[in-house]
Amino acid sequence: MLSFILRRLLIIVPMALLVVTVTWALIRIAPGNFYSTERTLPPAVEANIKKKYGLDRPWYEQYGMMMLNIVKLDFGDSLRYPGQTVNEIIRRHLPYSATIGFFAYILALLIGLTAGIIAALKQNSIWDYGSMALAMLGLSVPNFVLGPVLVLVFALGLYLVPPSRWGGISSLILPVITLSAIYAAYIARLTRAGMLEVMRSDYVRTARAKGLDEKTVLLKHALRGGIIPVVSFTGPALAGLLAGTVVVEKVFAIPGLGNIFIQSVFNRDEPLVLGIVAFISILIMIFNLAVDISYGFLDPRIRYE
Amino acid sequence: MQEFIGKSLAVSLICCFVLLSMTGCIRSSAEQKYFGIVKVPSDNVLRYVTGSEPESLDPQFVTGQPEARIMMALYEGLVEYHPITMEPIPAIAESWEIGPDGTEYLFHLRKNAKFSNGDPITAKDVVFSFRRGLSPELASRNANLAYYLKYAEAYNSARAFVRNPDGSFLVKDGGAPAAEPAAKADTFGPDSEFHRFIDAPERLTVPGDEAGRKKLTDKDAKMKALLEGKQFVPVRAEDVGIEAVDDHTVRLKLYQPAPFFLGLLAHQFFRVVHQPTIEKFGRAWTKPENIVTSGPFRVAAHKPYDELNTVKEPNYWDAANVKLAGIDFYPLDEQTTMLNLYKAGELDATYNHTIPAAWNDTVKQFKAEYSLHPEVAVDYYSLSVKKPPMDNLKVRQALSLAIDREALAQFQRTKKPLVDFTPEGIFPKYEEARQKVYTELLTQQGSSMAEWKARIFDAEKARKLMTEAGFPVQQAGSGWSTPSFPVDKVSITYNTSESNQKIAEFIQAQWKQNLGITLPLKNMEFKTFLPYRSAVEYDGVVRNGWVGDYMDPFTFLNLFYSQQNDGATGWWDPKYDKMLDDANKEVDEMKRFEMLATAEFYMMQQQIIVPLCTAGTSWVKKPFIKGMYPNPGTLHAWKFVYLEKDSAKWTKSMDDIMSEKDPAVTAQIDQLVATQEALKRSKAVEKTAE
Amino acid sequence: MVENVQVEKGTSLWADAWKRLLKNKLAVFGMIILGLMIITVIVGPPLIRWTTGLTADYIPSDGDLIRSFPPSMQHPMGTDEAGRDLLARVLQGGRISLMVGIISTIVSLIVGVSYGAIAGYLGGRIDNFMMRVVDIIYAIPYILIVIVLLSVFGGPNTPGWIGWLSEKLGGAGNQGLSQIFLLFFALGLVSWLTMARVVRGQILSLKNQEFVLAAKATGVSTFAIIFRHLVPNALGPVIVYATLTVPSVMLTEAFLSYLGLGVQAPYASWGSLAADGIKNIAIFPWQLIFPGVTMALTLFSLNFLGDGLRDALDPQTRKF
Repeated sequence: MLSFILRRLLIIVPMALLVVTVTWALIRIAPGNFYSTERTLPPAVEANIKKKYGLDRPWYEQYGMMMLNIVKLDFGDSLRYPGQTVNEIIRRHLPYSATIGFFAYILALLIGLTAGIIAALKQNSIWDYGSMALAMLGLSVPNFVLGPVLVLVFALGLYLVPPSRWGGISSLILPVITLSAIYAAYIARLTRAGMLEVMRSDYVRTARAKGLDEKTVLLKHALRGGIIPVVSFTGPALAGLLAGTVVVEKVFAIPGLGNIFIQSVFNRDEPLVLGIVAFISILIMIFNLAVDISYGFLDPRIRYE
Repeated sequence: MQEFIGKSLAVSLICCFVLLSMTGCIRSSAEQKYFGIVKVPSDNVLRYVTGSEPESLDPQFVTGQPEARIMMALYEGLVEYHPITMEPIPAIAESWEIGPDGTEYLFHLRKNAKFSNGDPITAKDVVFSFRRGLSPELASRNANLAYYLKYAEAYNSARAFVRNPDGSFLVKDGGAPAAEPAAKADTFGPDSEFHRFIDAPERLTVPGDEAGRKKLTDKDAKMKALLEGKQFVPVRAEDVGIEAVDDHTVRLKLYQPAPFFLGLLAHQFFRVVHQPTIEKFGRAWTKPENIVTSGPFRVAAHKPYDELNTVKEPNYWDAANVKLAGIDFYPLDEQTTMLNLYKAGELDATYNHTIPAAWNDTVKQFKAEYSLHPEVAVDYYSLSVKKPPMDNLKVRQALSLAIDREALAQFQRTKKPLVDFTPEGIFPKYEEARQKVYTELLTQQGSSMAEWKARIFDAEKARKLMTEAGFPVQQAGSGWSTPSFPVDKVSITYNTSESNQKIAEFIQAQWKQNLGITLPLKNMEFKTFLPYRSAVEYDGVVRNGWVGDYMDPFTFLNLFYSQQNDGATGWWDPKYDKMLDDANKEVDEMKRFEMLATAEFYMMQQQIIVPLCTAGTSWVKKPFIKGMYPNPGTLHAWKFVYLEKDSAKWTKSMDDIMSEKDPAVTAQIDQLVATQEALKRSKAVEKTAE
Repeated sequence: MVENVQVEKGTSLWADAWKRLLKNKLAVFGMIILGLMIITVIVGPPLIRWTTGLTADYIPSDGDLIRSFPPSMQHPMGTDEAGRDLLARVLQGGRISLMVGIISTIVSLIVGVSYGAIAGYLGGRIDNFMMRVVDIIYAIPYILIVIVLLSVFGGPNTPGWIGWLSEKLGGAGNQGLSQIFLLFFALGLVSWLTMARVVRGQILSLKNQEFVLAAKATGVSTFAIIFRHLVPNALGPVIVYATLTVPSVMLTEAFLSYLGLGVQAPYASWGSLAADGIKNIAIFPWQLIFPGVTMALTLFSLNFLGDGLRDALDPQTRKF
């Protein structure tokens, strides 16, 4: 078990570096550069910029310098926002995305698990169909539609909450709901499927046969097994959520990492793109590892060499 | 079972429709006096949105309009934009004089100007700020704005003077050694060693590095001979044509007369920064804890992507006249998001082009808030004049004529049709001169002004020209068709944005309906689009537009000046360059405008572009904000802005706000320009005395 | 004789699944809606053009008509801001949206299935390496991949076969379509990863079964083993997953449209129509309601169908 974790942890570093390399190549292939604007720059000004940022050197030299700095965990200054380091930007904006992502996931878990369990327990009842149809709705409405509709109704119609911007708990409500919708829908479906499968399995049947009361059977045995698909979904989902989701941040004007990342791609802000990509990829890999480990605790049938 | 399905579907569909129908009731409740909640902020702080997150708070570095508005709060330059007309008015300079040949400027600084840390602002600080902006190490993208200053371009592009072994320098024309600097009779302002140097004939400059020089001499044998055995002295910051004559006098020297230069000096690039702070903190000097500013407001807190809080600067020389307690800038660029905030009363004003096209008809009813005024900006399409079929003048003219500009303007709601290149309704004096010149020139050609104006839309003539160009237009049912036109060689390219797409779709439809040509549309992500357009790689037609840097038609005509120009058409004509140069040398304003108009006429006759429309400002502000005018650049001098508590004095209608006389603002402006007026009067007295 | 038994067994498996599918009313409902939607989208645009003369990209030339009209007899869904008939646009957008979903899913099927099958069957180091590659691509933001693909291979550099394909499917003189096909391709390229994982998992559990060993023993080539023996047996989960990929790709396309990277004007997709509509929801609600509900209904049906298929074909596997 321990050697498995160590091996997986060790491979994360070279993989993250590979991800960074591929991303770097993609940015370099993409036309345009960080300094271009509507007006054409005189050649002298362009030459000054190239010199200042070392863009006049051969590409392998630039790549080498960049990798060397990244190994030292220093992504350098943002090109778009001079004077701000990439590390600083990530550190500053991660909490916004993480807060919203965290609450959204908690909400999604609450709604999704409840709906999923009820649906599974009362299979083919109105509860089952009702909650599954709601889940389908969550999966079928793009969040760039859901967000503005919620704003229109609750912020501009009923004046219950502010329409956007960060500040206070009331400003969190709409973005958290918008963000959690699709995740709640996924979780409800996964829970239902997982529970149904487990409840048909031998060990639940055995537990029932042993005469354990229904509550214990459900919570101790069925839920533990049925929740596995949810856990495996949680890994990548949580990483994505913590790193921010563009649409919600754009609609609600939240200074989160997701929107900054998209902007940095559009701005060709190379250090910032690389920094965020490296950060997110490591996050994804760590979460995936955590998921694999937690299987071992949830499902006694799974063992690691 | 069936029942259950029906019910579960019903549940979800009902949810869907309840939400949507609720939006319906909100719509009806919106029919009221104001667009959303109107509440004067109790803390006297204006909440303003200025577009995307500022790149930096460094005035010499930033380029965009969002930043420009923030820089106007934080920094001050020699002059400031007039809140209504955007003409230059006194700021750190209380008055100025322009030399008789139009290349020299003498600025008299006020003695009580201070930085936010209390340090006095002197001529040295102005000189430092100008030189810093030009330094190759800063690599500012705006550096070319200052290229009118003597040797500024040479310094910025790291060029070198050429020195003979005997210590004299080569001059530009002919390469003869420079005459020994001698005091000249027409010296403007006090004499100084630097002034003699800068007033002497222009020195020759060559690339500062070996490789650059080699490139030059390889091409030019004469130059090679000339540079043989010479020394190369790098052009330094100290050689640029700006001089601190004394603590409170700054002198500028230009290559050639540039009557618009004074207006350009209000640009953020020329605003004053604090040298010791920059030297002490380096790149980190703009951090809120380090920054030292020179304007009416100072940075209180900066949360990037969230808000920038500024508060009134107690050390500012004119603090008595700064009425706001502070300004909060919100970095937003989603139109819907910011209008939601505005409606909820959490935002007091927006910037230009923030009302989505579809909303205009609705928002326009709120007369006290909605501003639609002409903007110093034009939309046009560039044509790749070097590639067929666009190399044919008649094809270009036909395409331009086949667009119904009235319908286009009506469709866009906020814009006005444009048949020439400089915007309509922005430069009244220039338009007067242009009217005169055009009438003369057209009469010479046997045409008339009416015919010229008819270029706004003439489908008949367009088809005729297209046929003459070798692409016969035939009647096809109720429409037209031009089968021989190479539609595979031409496309309409634009960068992805809702409004660009709408214009492109409209024009595509126009050409289809009036000429029977269906050109494909091609949209590109902005940064991909820029190099593609400026290298004229596009096929035929590309979206273009320009926002003026200063209030003079030259900021537009300059687009097609020099071989490497911003017009992105591939067109360049030395004759046109010369016409512009000659015009700028002219001292008399009206005469200069006439010469510029002649140049514009010359350029428009080539039809290298398809003019589309003059932009309109299109933004909203709460009625209680006063002293904030829809000027042509939507650049607000913040010290004139105030919040009116008394609802009787609120703005009633934005339509006539430009002519409305607000006594508070008028008095403030009068007081400011008094110093300059006094100087002008005394100079006039001197002149008559002579 | 032996062959006969096999065939019969196979038929009964599929027939069984079909029977189970028909029992699932929601899935049947999804299938019907989807079928209707596809038929409407195919015959709708020519029909509208024939009855009312309206096409999806027709902008009236009269300035007064260039605004958004509410639903009426002439325009059952109203018009958009440029005065274009919304019904015609929704139908034409449906073509694009469904094509995005289907073509991208086919691309992801081809790439994902072969990749996953090869990795799973070969196993060991090769498998490990191939799966790490998937992990890496997974961590690269697809938005970057889409931008690069669209900008590098867009415009004059469009590969010939994409232009050919768009001409065949969209008719001559529709160069604008080639960008859309590039988008299909880009979306397919980023959505094959999960497919590869699913297939690999299936192959891993199948490859040690007797029929594979038998095939190996009789000297069948590796290629044939993978694609003639293993892949057909893993088809159940693949079909299920493919059905679920279609809606997720459609949503991704909608998101890209929201960012301005989606389909090329004058073409529209349901996603781009909804993204345009949401901006004007307070003023012209019909601009959102019609494309939005159409899209939601289609996604609904696809998800129901996918669920039904999973229950029918492969009751054992979990999703993901």
